[in-house]
Amino acid sequence: MIDFSRVQKELVECGKDVEGSGIKLNIKGDSLARLIGSIPGPIGTPYEGGIFKIDITIPDGYPFEPPKMQFTTKVWHPNISSQSGAICLDILKDQWSPALTLKTALLSVQALLSSPEPDDPQDAVVAQQYLKDYQTFVGTARYWTETFAKASSLGIEDKVKKLAEMGFPEAQARSALDAVGGDENLALERLCS
Amino acid sequence: MASEPDASEISAVFERMVRNRDLTLFLPFIFGLSNAASRREGEDSSPENENEESAQRERIILINPFTQGMVVIDGASSLEALLRDFGRGKGGRPPASKESIDALPCFKIEEGDEGECVICLEEWEAGGEVKEMPCKHKFHPNCVEKWLGIHGSCPVCRYEMPIDEETGKKRDEEDGEERRRRIGREVWVSFSFNGEGRRNENSNQAPSDDSNDS
Repeated sequence: MIDFSRVQKELVECGKDVEGSGIKLNIKGDSLARLIGSIPGPIGTPYEGGIFKIDITIPDGYPFEPPKMQFTTKVWHPNISSQSGAICLDILKDQWSPALTLKTALLSVQALLSSPEPDDPQDAVVAQQYLKDYQTFVGTARYWTETFAKASSLGIEDKVKKLAEMGFPEAQARSALDAVGGDENLALERLCS
Repeated sequence: MASEPDASEISAVFERMVRNRDLTLFLPFIFGLSNAASRREGEDSSPENENEESAQRERIILINPFTQGMVVIDGASSLEALLRDFGRGKGGRPPASKESIDALPCFKIEEGDEGECVICLEEWEAGGEVKEMPCKHKFHPNCVEKWLGIHGSCPVCRYEMPIDEETGKKRDEEDGEERRRRIGREVWVSFSFNGEGRRNENSNQAPSDDSNDS
């Protein structure tokens, strides 16, 4: 049985420090077992300027078992699968501790973006490129950030309008966009769920 | 949309499997199940598998259309169990011994004690009990006992508690045996889809240690 009261506390705690950490946690559906985390790409890395979404599933054994995390934003990184978004990070596996939280785990994922470990790759192709042709790696990673991790240039009003044109009530569209941090696809998913 | 996370979850497991076993070219794409009835004749298998389990043996087939490779895994009790096996890898520190857990001192929380149990995130309540680990970190008795029963290390500083040598060893052995039994044998086949006939390297030999039956 998931310790929902702990998850609830974590959501509140994380919400208090969005300004400071840049880490966001949102509920995906109507259960606390599925969340969406978002982390800003670290400054000074090819991921700078991007916002990366991470799909979080809380297992029954949480917090005695690690949360399952997977990038939904495509990212070019040796320890993250360019296909599936799977993350290779020890604290999400055998080095998990119940003293960690969703927020600290997301911070670790963010730190992983800053310091890839190509010797323990998740994506062999990316890791090879990182080791053999670092400049191309940086170029590709930056291109992927530009392409997949940057919010579309539409302003929030345009997005509300777009969703309203699809037939959703404006107020609902606005609150959905608000809840997912302005990502129109996630907002659409939320409205449809 | 609903099935997408599952599919990506499976592909994540496969990727991990590929990485762990260093089969970088083998990313299975399609997998199928067939049961014991379709077992091929003429392949030697370890006798104990043959006798005890042939009735419920299953076979998992993984196919990668890109490299035109295929692997047949015999003896997996279920796909889920197999995936769990591949996904498991190293399991972290084994559970702490029961004696060492029982021996942890208990304290009453005094009025004015501040802080929280980092496992459940509940703040200390005066009059309640806490258990203190040798590293001086304190938790609710229930919380820390549950954790130490899974992994024998401090949640905060990873201080290592004594583990039960006997159970630890037995668990390892059981694990190993179960894996061996489940993955009875792997058959690697590579074949070609273009009409030039079939190349069939049926090696009946696994590229991993898992299936080296003793």
